[in-house]
Formats: sequence, structure tokens, C-alpha cells
Amino acid sequence: MRAFVGVAGTLLGGAVAVALAGTVLAHATTAPHQLRAQVSGTASTPQGELPHAFLELDTWPDSMAGEHGPSGGSHPDWVSYGPASSLSVPAHSLVTVTIRQYDTGGELNNDFFGTVRGTVDGTATVDGRAVTQVDPTEVGHTFTIHAIPSSQDPLFVSVPLPAVADDAPVLDNGYPAPHVITFSFITGGPGSYVWQCEYPCGDGTYANFGGPMSAQGYMEGTLTVG
Amino acid sequence: MTDTLTTAPADAPGGPPTVPAWKRAPIAPILGIFVVLCALLTPFALFVPAHLMGDAASAHMRGIESTVTAFSLASVPVAALVWAVTIYSIIGWRHRGSEPPAEEAPPLRGNTVVQVVWLVLSSVLCLFLLIWGLAVLRPTPSAASAGQPLMVEVTGQQWTWSFGYPDNGNATADRLVLPVNQPVQFRVTSKDVIHSFWIVQMGVKVDANPGETTLASVTPDRIGTFDIRCAELCGLYHAYMQTTVQVVSADQFASWVQAQPRATS
Amino acid sequence: MVDTAVAETAIGREPRRRVPRLNVLTGVVCGLILAGAGWGVSSWLLSAGDYGADRVVSITMVCWAVGFLVGVGALAGPIRWLLGRDLSVADEHVLAGKDQGVGRYFRFTTDHKVVGVQYLVLSMTLFGVGGLLAMLIRTQLIRPGARFVSPQTYNTIVGMHGIIMIIGTIIMVSGPFGNFILPIMIGARDMAFPRLNALSFWLICAAVPVLLATFFFGGIPTGWSVYAPLSDQAPAGMDCFLITIIIFAISSGIAGVNITTTAVKMRARGMTWTRTPIFVFGTVSSVALGVIAFPMFMAAMVLEGLNRTTGTVFYDAAHGGSAWLYAHLFWLMGHPEVYVILLPAFAAVLELTPVFARKPLFSFLGAVTGIAGIIGLSMFVWAHHMFISGWAPALDGPFMLTTELISIPTGLLILVLLGTLWRGTVWMRLPVMATFAMLWNFIIGGITGIYLSDVPVDQAMHGSMFVTAHFHFTLMGGALTGFAGALAYWFPKMTGRMLDERLGMIGFWIIQIGFNVTFLGMFAVGLAGQPRRVADYPSLFATGNLVSSIGAYIIGSGALIYLYAVVHSWRHGRRAPGNPWGAKTLEWQVPTPVPLENFTVLPVVTSDFYGYGEGGSAAPTPAPRRIAAPVPSGAAATTQEGGTA
Repeated sequence: MRAFVGVAGTLLGGAVAVALAGTVLAHATTAPHQLRAQVSGTASTPQGELPHAFLELDTWPDSMAGEHGPSGGSHPDWVSYGPASSLSVPAHSLVTVTIRQYDTGGELNNDFFGTVRGTVDGTATVDGRAVTQVDPTEVGHTFTIHAIPSSQDPLFVSVPLPAVADDAPVLDNGYPAPHVITFSFITGGPGSYVWQCEYPCGDGTYANFGGPMSAQGYMEGTLTVG
Repeated sequence: MTDTLTTAPADAPGGPPTVPAWKRAPIAPILGIFVVLCALLTPFALFVPAHLMGDAASAHMRGIESTVTAFSLASVPVAALVWAVTIYSIIGWRHRGSEPPAEEAPPLRGNTVVQVVWLVLSSVLCLFLLIWGLAVLRPTPSAASAGQPLMVEVTGQQWTWSFGYPDNGNATADRLVLPVNQPVQFRVTSKDVIHSFWIVQMGVKVDANPGETTLASVTPDRIGTFDIRCAELCGLYHAYMQTTVQVVSADQFASWVQAQPRATS
Repeated sequence: MVDTAVAETAIGREPRRRVPRLNVLTGVVCGLILAGAGWGVSSWLLSAGDYGADRVVSITMVCWAVGFLVGVGALAGPIRWLLGRDLSVADEHVLAGKDQGVGRYFRFTTDHKVVGVQYLVLSMTLFGVGGLLAMLIRTQLIRPGARFVSPQTYNTIVGMHGIIMIIGTIIMVSGPFGNFILPIMIGARDMAFPRLNALSFWLICAAVPVLLATFFFGGIPTGWSVYAPLSDQAPAGMDCFLITIIIFAISSGIAGVNITTTAVKMRARGMTWTRTPIFVFGTVSSVALGVIAFPMFMAAMVLEGLNRTTGTVFYDAAHGGSAWLYAHLFWLMGHPEVYVILLPAFAAVLELTPVFARKPLFSFLGAVTGIAGIIGLSMFVWAHHMFISGWAPALDGPFMLTTELISIPTGLLILVLLGTLWRGTVWMRLPVMATFAMLWNFIIGGITGIYLSDVPVDQAMHGSMFVTAHFHFTLMGGALTGFAGALAYWFPKMTGRMLDERLGMIGFWIIQIGFNVTFLGMFAVGLAGQPRRVADYPSLFATGNLVSSIGAYIIGSGALIYLYAVVHSWRHGRRAPGNPWGAKTLEWQVPTPVPLENFTVLPVVTSDFYGYGEGGSAAPTPAPRRIAAPVPSGAAATTQEGGTA
């Protein structure tokens, strides 16, 4: 009897320890809130009439305007996407994304990401002008969605976001006047995807892919289709 | 220095000389267990690993699957022998009680014949594995003489793959499309850390190293969609560094590659 | 005891000055103070620029380790020697923990028995932490798309599980049993260098908090193999990791030299190499191999530290370095290291099997040859980890050959186990269960290793879950199982109490069942093409992963039951007699608890220790008829007891 109680207690203790450690670690890096695309009406697409959803994002040269709060959290100097990095869009829909790009930039390390890929018509609009690719030496960031294939519908979207010129006029909010990039893509069935930036903007790290490039909540996030 | 060792085998009794060795108590039941284990393990070795590895999409992958099956079959008797003795020792030689049993067991300190046979057998098995491996490894002459391979540039970058077709007007794509029965050569490199380019169903795997170009070649021989995964931990989204390879007919390939965006440079 | 003469002159001069009685608390306080000072000064001077954070973290961690060691009293001897006052005999007794009760386990104590128990508790603690992380890994992978922890946290958990288990398994046998048992087994009064012995333990204690600090500095995205250049890119957690490795390499070097010297120089009179127990061979070859292997990892980590703190480019191909340099250095340690883990555990099983089969070790020479063969070949197999790295294909054949050759000496060890069981009277107690479980698991681990040694098959399997399952079968199914058996075997001598057989058996076999379920499931998804170290996977692999996760929880339950059996028996277990197994090796001939200097009169050995069933020497402590006659060792040990009587 005593052994039974002891064993049961030990097992319980172990389970509690795992649950406790798991809970702490699970909440260590969770994004504070999820940004849901707003559905508004329908749109005619190559795949027929689909619900039309809209997402609005920003790319900031620091972390003080997005989900990390005005203080910028633990890394106020890291570049970041805003207002959130955890995105959610409806399945079987046309999703139109608008990104205000406030950051300067430079040259991609892989020209592949200078081309607009996976959008409707393979185009995006930059400040109202339709483009299929941008100058790979003048890119600020990219918005690139990809995922585990073979168990959910494939989804690959990559749009380069042109860099803001170094001498661009400064707005009231203290940031330079942004480029506004708009593009649309069509979602398949429900699934879990990730999105990230493919412009090496983690300054001071190897291949400029550390820091904000390797931490969720800055230049990466999740995209839930559902 | 080997005073006890050299004398010990001579002391070890070979059992009563009147009864043939294989009829003595432990041998017959162990042989029985051995046969049962072999009967259970052989079908397992024949079918399970190859089944789990799925349908191959290249001759190279079929070679790998047959190697796995052959090695599994070769190891069946080894495993069965060891496990037969183990299982019998649990059943047949067990002693229960709170006091140490009397030391009545024969104090065998080695048996030269057994050791030599064991060493020779394991060396022969080892040699078999080596020769088999080298034979599969040797590039088949047909692949080399099948004409100009299709060149595909594979670039790993945290955490996506991108593909270029320098022979087809520098077309680029985020997934791979290949014509069936056409030898392909991959020139694999990385823009940042080490990745590993793995086409699962074709048995192609080579690291993508920064600053180096590594080569791999394969001839896909089955139409279908297969998996490309990164097999070297490469950071945050390593798990998501996956895409597909679609093997299509030559005509379909030609029209597909025509429609892809060109490289900007 | 070597410097007794010097010490006695010191006694005359300063009879009352003793070494300070510091403990782990003073160590922590001193470490924190120095770490705070290091952090303050380095933040003030060095925090600017791209390498600032790495410099501050590195310096802080080094300061913690130094401060902890000073505070725990590791430097008391050298400091007194520098002041011109060497340690007196009384000081040595204080250091050895004489009459200090339980407190001596929390001090820089030089008695090898205390160090052994400390190592045992430390390695079991590490298994607890590593096992907890394993449960989190399997929870994350229980179904596809499960976002239990973020990929960032997941990668850190995988790497930390790896390194914690690696450190834990490296020290699990040669630490507790190599320190507690080995000196008694060879008839010595202590290790050759008792203070270095304690230092090797406390270095690891200094390193563990540094390792755990990894979690708080951004973690490591690299797994425990920390491949460059990914490690160049990692956050400051990598600095904690590499400092841990550097400290651990120093510790294992010290421990390796110490154990090797002890076994070579301090064996009892008459204990020739052929009379030396096989456990001594296994442990010594393992730690000696570690002395060769670990500096490779340490060097790789020192270069990585320079990359991170001063901007060197050793592994950066874009600037003339090479990532392959790192891979070679790592695997030059990495493959010998698995034998560092495996050999002492295997040797412990070889040691205990004759005791329970009541038969001599079948072919002692074969066992020694097997160990030597593995050690020799283990230095020449590392590059089979690089078959698909894109290197020169001409190297495939030679490394395939060496890798396959290593199955021959390993097979010899299996034969020794089988031959020892052959026609024995196997006493079914908890320790010998490890023999059976190991024979089952290790065959699976060995055979799957042969697949991986084959270059074409490796093209399909490299970097997949198949590899993960394979090395868990060797390191967990083989080595950790051997540790569980060794613990049950030597538990009565180390704690003075019997390990609860009923709970121990239940826990042990639940672990084994769960283990096979977990890793057979993992073989399946590996063959199907699931990569290692992924935070998420396609639903194609759902079944195998679910099976693995369920198996992992079974392992966890079994391990907790075993842990409860150990802890409960340690406190309340039945009192153990001096020699409960009727074994013949020397450690069973001394009383329990073992007195401070083990032997009052050093034993003389006249035969080896495996003479079961030879000459009717069944009783473990037979009356000595003659001293120098070639009778089994029980008599040899009795010589000593006769001397005390």
C-alpha cells in the first residue's frame, strides 16, 4: 500500500513537472494576439466566385510600433512586422494583403525572391503600380509564405517589398513615408503555414539571418488557413 | 601473462562424450526457438522495411530498398541466434530464490572453436555487406552514357528551397518539376547555413553547403508528386523547409518550364 | 597519500590552521557575486558592437564557473600550496569528509566514495531534466500541426535534451561506479588524484547552471551537434552552450586521466592485467578514449567562441573558413563519444553477468579484445557522419569499411555475454535483467547501425528519424539499460541497502516495453522519410509519431517508478549484507558501509575474480587455507580481513 502511494505520488509529481515545464516553455514565445483577415463580400477569381478577405500589415525598422508595444520589448532595435505576426485567413478565399513598408534595405542574397510569386496573375502593386519583380538590389523585406506539403494544400507566395529610399521624407510618426504594396492570393483548404522575410535583415549576425530573422514575432510568423 | 586463460579452455568440459552435442538439453530447444524466430523475422525483413519506405521513384531508390531488404534478411539469423540463446537462458537456466545458487554450472572459460567460428562468420557477414555496398555505390555505366543530363540549380536558403533551370532560359521555381526518364543533375548550394537536399522517394540526398556546390544525380522513372525535405537542422523553420517534386512527361515539362518566371539577372 | 611526508612537516608548523569548510552554498554565493561583477564590468567595457552581447554573456558565465569553484573550495589546496603551506594530514581528512555526515556530500570532498555518490545523484538529476525535455518533445510531436511550443523553443528543447542526456550518459557509469567501485575493485585506498577527482565533479556542477541558462538567452536553434555556421547565427544561448562544453571537456579530461592513472598504477599486489576485472577495462578504455576525443569538441567550441566574440571566421566559407572543419572536429569527438558512453555500461553488464550466471566470464581475452577493437576502430569511423556532406566520394569506401568492421569486436562482446549465460544457473535478480534487455535492444541498435554504415542506404536514412531511433537503441537500449543494471548491482554497496526488487523490476520492464514501442515507431516514420529534429510533420507520419509519443509516456512512467524504487530503497530499504550477490570481486569483500580508506590491510590477489564453479569456492568469504595459493579472490580478500582480526 505504501509503495503504491509512493509510486502514484512519484508519477503524479512527474506529470506535474512535465506539465509545469511545458506550460512555461509554451508561453515563453507565444505571440500576444492573432490578426484575422476581415472578410468583405466576394470576388471573382480564376477559380470562380470566392469570399474576399483583407489583411493589413506593416514592416517597421524597429520593434516599437508593432506587437511588442511602444517600449519595443526586449529588442526594441530589431526590425519587425506589425501589427501582429500570427495571421489567420479563411480557406478557399481570395486574400488581399496590403503592406506598408517603412524600412530601408539593400541587396537580396538570392535574386529568386526579387520576383513576385504565387499571387493572382503573378503581380503585386507597388504604390499603385503593377509589377512582377523589383530591383533585387533595392529590397527592404519580403513576405514569403510556405509550408509542409503533402498533407495540406500547397501554398507558396513570395512578394518583395521595395526599400524606402534613405532620403525619404519623414512622417509625423517618426518613420519615413512608406511604400504601399498590395497583392492577392487564393487559399486552398485549411492548414498551418508559416510566413517569413527572405531579405537578410538580421544585421550583425551570420548571413544577416539571425536576431529578428530567427525569432518568431519579428520577421516571421504563422499563417493559419481555416 | 595469460596463465588462466590459456589453460582454461583445456579445463572446460565438452560435455559427456557419449551423447552427440546437438542432442543435449540446451541445443535442441534453442534450435527450436531459433527456427521459430527465423520464421517470424524473415517475412518481417522481407516486407516491412521496403513497405515502409514506400514506392520508389528511381532505380537508385529501388537499389536502396533492396539493400535494406537484403541486409535485413542477412541479419535475421544473427538476431534469431542471439535472441534464441537469450530467451532460452531466461526460461531454461533460471534460478529463483533469495540466496545465490550453488556454483554447479560448468566453468566455461572460452571455447576456441566457438570463438573462431563466431569471428569468421561475423567477418564474412561484414565482407558481404561491404561488397554489396560498394557494388550499389558504383555508378551505373548506363546513367553516365545516357546523354546530356538536365541541369537543375538547387539553392537552400533559410527556410525555403528555390530551383533554377539554367538550360531552360534560367527559369526559376519554388518547387521542382522534372521530366520522366531524363537524367537530372542537381547542383546544390546554400546561401547561408548547411541544409540537406533530400528527395525522399528518389533516394537523393546531399548537403547544401554555403560557399560550395555539391552534386547529385538521379533519373526519375515514375510520374507523380514526391517530397523534398531539408534533412539538416537549419534553424527556426527547419521543419517547414519542404516542397514537392512533380515528375511529368517531357511535353508537360517543356510547357511548364516555359511559363515560369526567369531569373532577374 | 603521496605527499604525507610533506604534510607532516606542515603539521609541525601550523597545527591548528585547517582548510576552510566551504560547501555548495558558499559556492553558489561566490559564483553569483563573481558573475555579477563580471557582468557589470563587461557590460561597461565590452557591450558595444555586434559581439557585445556574446562577450558579456561569455564573461559572465566564465566568472560564475570560476567563482563557484573558488566558493566551493576547489582551490583550497593549490592556494595553500602557493602560500607555502601544504595540506596536513588533518586537512586531508577534512577534505576527505571524515566524520562529516551527510554534509560531506555537499562539499568539495575528496573521498572517492563521496564523489561516486555525488556523480550518481548528478547523473540521475540530469536524466530527470533530459527526460522531462523528452516528454515535451514527444508531446509536441504527438500529432501533426500541434503547436504546443513554438519552433524556436522546440529547437532549443531538442538540443538541450541531446546535450543533457549526452553529459548524463557519459558520466553515468564511469562517474558513480568508476569512482566509488573501481578503486575498491582494484584494491586501492582512493583514486590516484583525490582532489582532481572532486574537481572533475564540481566542474560539471559549475557547468550545469551555465547550460540551463541557455534557455534564458534565446536558446540554441542547432541541436546539440551545433553545426556551424548555424551556430554563428544563434542567439547568446549558444555562448552558454559552448562554455558548458569547454568546462565539461576539462572535467572529463581530468576524470579520464585520474581514472586511467588509478587503474594503471594502483592495482593491488598480484592483480595482473589478466586478473583485473573486465569493468576496469571497460571504464578505463572509455575514459581514456574520452581524453582523446573531447579536446576535439572543446577546440571546435573555442573556435566557435572566437567566431562569436571576436569576429573570426573559422567556419565561414564566404570568408575563407569551412563549415566542414567544424563537422570533422565535431564527429572526431562525436563518434568515439558513443563508445565512451557504451563501453563502461557494457563492461558493467559483463561484470555482473558471471555473478548471476554463477559461471566465469566466457573468454576474458575475447572481452578485452572486443573492447580494444572497438576503441581502436572508434577513432577511424567518424566520417561516416559525412557521407552526404558533399565530400570526395573516394572516401566513402574506406569509412564504410571501418564502420562495418566495428561490428566484429562488438559481436565478440555479445558472444562473451551469451557464452557466460550458456548452461549457467541464472539467478533472476534485478541486475541481470539488464543483460537480457541489452541483448535484445543492442542487437536492434547494432543491425540498424549497419544499414546506416552503407553509403547508399545512408543517402535515404541520413538525417531521418531512423538515425534517431538507431542511436537511442544503442545509447538508451544498450548503455542506459546497462546503467540501470549496474545501479541495481552496486546499490547495496554504495548505499548499504538493497534496491527494492519488486518495484525495480516493474519500473525496469515498463521502461523496456515503452522504449521498444517508442523507437520501433520512430524507425517506421524514419523509413517513411520523416526528418530528424522537426517541430512539425505531414499527417503521413501521424500514426508512427502517435505510437512513439505513447511509448515515450510509458518510458517516463517506468523511469519514475524506477526512480521511486531507488529513492525509497536508499532511505528505507532492507539493510544489505556486505556481499549480497555472493560476488568475488574485491569491492564485495570490504564491509558495508565501506570505511574511509577502504582497506585496513591492502589485499593480495592470487587469481582472477571469475572463478565461479571452480574449486568449490562457493562461499564469498572462505577461510584462508594458504595465502599465495592460486585460489579465487575471495581468499585473497580474506587475507586482509585476517590481518585486521
